Amino acid sequence: MSSIPVVQPRRPVRDGLRSFVLALSLKRVGVALLLAVLAAFVLSPIFVTPMIVIVARFMVIALVLVLLFTAAGVWRQRVLPSWIVQLISVLVAAPVMTFLVYLPSVGGDFSAVFAHEGRAMGFVGIASTAMFWGALLAMGALYREREARSRSAELGFALEKSQLERQALDARLKLLQAQIEPHFLFNTLANVQALVESGSPRAGPVLGSLIAYLRAVVPKLHDERPTLGGEVALVRAYLELMQMRIPDRLQFSVDLEPGVTQQSFPPMALLTLVENAVRHGIDPNEQGGRIGVNAWSNVATGALHVAVTDDGAGMRETAAPGTGLSNLRERLAAFYGGRARLEISENTPHGVRAELIIEAAAPTGQ
Amino acid sequence: MTSKPPPTALIADDEPLLRERLRSHLARLWPELQIVAEARNGREAVELFDEHQPSVVFLDVHMPGMNGVEAARSIARRAELVFVTAYEQYAVQAFEQGALDYLVKPFDDRRLADTVQRLKARVLAVPSPAEEASSSAVDALLSELSAELRRRGAGAATTGSHLQWIKASVGTSVRLIPVEQVVYLRSDEKYTLVVWEGGEALIRKTIRELADELDPERFAQIHRSVIVNLHAVVQVHRGLNETAEVQLKGRNEMLPVSRSFLHLFRQM
Repeated sequence: MSSIPVVQPRRPVRDGLRSFVLALSLKRVGVALLLAVLAAFVLSPIFVTPMIVIVARFMVIALVLVLLFTAAGVWRQRVLPSWIVQLISVLVAAPVMTFLVYLPSVGGDFSAVFAHEGRAMGFVGIASTAMFWGALLAMGALYREREARSRSAELGFALEKSQLERQALDARLKLLQAQIEPHFLFNTLANVQALVESGSPRAGPVLGSLIAYLRAVVPKLHDERPTLGGEVALVRAYLELMQMRIPDRLQFSVDLEPGVTQQSFPPMALLTLVENAVRHGIDPNEQGGRIGVNAWSNVATGALHVAVTDDGAGMRETAAPGTGLSNLRERLAAFYGGRARLEISENTPHGVRAELIIEAAAPTGQ
Repeated sequence: MTSKPPPTALIADDEPLLRERLRSHLARLWPELQIVAEARNGREAVELFDEHQPSVVFLDVHMPGMNGVEAARSIARRAELVFVTAYEQYAVQAFEQGALDYLVKPFDDRRLADTVQRLKARVLAVPSPAEEASSSAVDALLSELSAELRRRGAGAATTGSHLQWIKASVGTSVRLIPVEQVVYLRSDEKYTLVVWEGGEALIRKTIRELADELDPERFAQIHRSVIVNLHAVVQVHRGLNETAEVQLKGRNEMLPVSRSFLHLFRQM
């Protein structure tokens, strides 16, 4: 249970403060202060006030503007896009702040700021400079932020893509591991041996089935283009071998709509379902049963349906599904993306039905 | 001079070609041995054994219904047993340790000839006290092996303790939903709503029954009426007043956690 992520109750103020501090980079503050000093030097000839005071005024204004700009960016409101709010806050704050830094020098008398012509000129000079540079810097910062966001989205996308590729590779590697069950192989060979020793004419065709089965099952890294037709041939070979072994307990039928054989299909997927039907349905059942393999495409939806039905022992609710099915789900997801689903249901009057439904691919625009 | 009756044997294998092959090889290597019956599964093997009382029984380990090891336990010490198996490493090891005779399919003539030699010696000899003593060890081995087989017997015969599938009516069919795909279960008056990756359905089992039957390693009851698959939980949001909500993978709805189940999500 320790693996469950626990989120403490939200504390909005704390959260806001934290993201504010995170957004307020040293670089951002530094650039603003540097520009303030520069502007102070450039504008200082028009002032009578000592240079140091002008520099201080500019720095205070720049600092407040940066803080406001950052705070406006962090502020979660839904009325306006946050970049507009950030820009407006800079444009409004520039004259207001200029006015405020002038207040101490006039002893807090509001009207006094504009009473003196030189002071009014100074106010207009500083305010307009602050507004101009503030807005310019704000827009620059916004632009860079947007760049960074789109870059991180790109990175996220690339990461997701590489994860998907890795999953596909994992699925393929899993497929390569131990596909041939030694128990099946040696039992089958014992039967072939019996046929050969007794000089049975069935030995030839049975060996043919075994070769077809082995050829399909022996690990292949790159199948040129696996198709449903190829997979059904493998399944037919497997069922023929099983039927040779237990002729009194296994019947089977394979019905394939002619149009679906060329559809691409993940290797071994159908075999997994048929092996399951044998293992869970036929094997435990003294009377055995019948396995039906059907494939058709739904005219209305274009979806490919592949069903494996058995009338054997059926599935107990506590029967372990084994790794075969979860492996199969992974392989299907890797091969088809989200287009494939596997539905398992009870067959009437008994047994199990597994149906694979593969939705038609969206047109690729070719 | 009273001549002993000819030795008799029973062959049990669910694969007819393999029964035939064993029969024809035995006919060549041990012509006096009479094959009195052939069985296709463990149940038939035991029935035919009781009927014919053969001195030797060849038992395939893998047979439908009752397997070879279970049949052997029921036949016990009343016959010489030879197990026949294909690539069951664990079984072969057990047979070796327990000095039980066995053949690995596909076997050759030489191997079968060895077995026949041993069988001849034992069938004709009088059992010694030492052998009698060792047979209880064989019993123990067989019961161990039979448990092992049941564990490996992929599914149908196993009596696993936890629910692995949930049966739910969807349309006209009864769907079998693997529990690992279930996201959560929520009681809905008389029924229980099952929500899984591929849809949702109502079932008759109650939340209480499900809480007992599902694997507690994977499923947790978080509310009087809710059981959640822990693997589907993304986050637990603590609210005020000792309440919490569970956020699920790929779903919008939140599940309530009631106060008495909050301890499940206490941070370690």
